[in-house]
Amino acid sequence: MSPVTGLCEGCLRTIDEIVAWSRADDDYKRAVWGEIRRREEQIPFD
Amino acid sequence: MPTLPPSVRVLERGWLSSNSVLLIGADATALVDTGYATHAAQTVDLVRHALAGRALDRIVNTHLHSDHCGGNAALHAAYGCRIAIPAADCATVAAWDEDALSFRATAQQCPRFAFDESVAPGQRLCLGDLDWQALAAPGHDPHALLLWCEGEGILISGDALWHNGFGVVFPELVGEPGFDDVRATLDLIATLDARVVIPGHGAPFADVADALQRAYGRLDMLAADPIRNAQNAVKVLMKFLLLERRRIPLADVDLLCATVPLLVRVRERFLNSTSAELAAWLVQGLVGVGAARLDGDVLVDA
Repeated sequence: MSPVTGLCEGCLRTIDEIVAWSRADDDYKRAVWGEIRRREEQIPFD
Repeated sequence: MPTLPPSVRVLERGWLSSNSVLLIGADATALVDTGYATHAAQTVDLVRHALAGRALDRIVNTHLHSDHCGGNAALHAAYGCRIAIPAADCATVAAWDEDALSFRATAQQCPRFAFDESVAPGQRLCLGDLDWQALAAPGHDPHALLLWCEGEGILISGDALWHNGFGVVFPELVGEPGFDDVRATLDLIATLDARVVIPGHGAPFADVADALQRAYGRLDMLAADPIRNAQNAVKVLMKFLLLERRRIPLADVDLLCATVPLLVRVRERFLNSTSAELAAWLVQGLVGVGAARLDGDVLVDA
């Protein structure tokens, strides 16, 4: 987990989102994917 | 998406770490498989969050590959939980025999842990207030176990069956039989008529018959051409190292092909290539399927 963003450095999800994932419906997952795409734009990759 | 009882929570991550399955009972909690060592702090965070203040009482490992037991030591340090491992691995773990454990051969990491319980095929366990039976699942690993909950029709399959395929057939890579064991394990899974499979990697799935059909097809293809199994294995091993390290200079890809014991054995037994030739083939192959990209002289995970 990144100490700065609180996101998993691999999948860009929060701890909350990873824990919720396996029980979540497709709407939730699509919303998180939307967030992931937004986060990708903001995070500098080396 | 298949439904699971409230006591079963799947923590699904990328492919470096296996899935972890949290089983939350009224009186006791358990975690099946613990992910890879470099994710151990995240594993502890996820478990702590999901348990909401309760302690983790027990770890059960389906098999002792680094991506399934790499969090054992950290979770034990955090919770003092009991650790249950396949019975056939007990002597190896007690002695922490690096040559018999897979970590040195694959250049993968796994912090040392001790075990408190052994789990033998046929043995029953109460996890998350559900009755589970351990079943032998040789093939990917000779000592691997399935966990089968007949009451709910849930199978925790480890790397014996995925939605699309199964884990590398490691025994074949060192000249020991494995394909027949994979087939026997798939046959066993077919008899269970599971409603849901929670695989070691990827999302839980309900279309078990289709997954079995894909697995049999893959097995037939690999068993007919063991070199293909070997080629697949070296790609998976290098991708795993790349997932862990994220960037590997090309010179180090060559060095890994020359020094990682399992890569050396597979190269000599099946591939008849130099480390440089294997490194070049791997780089081309991984980049070709989009599993890696080149950044100058550095192979980068993709």
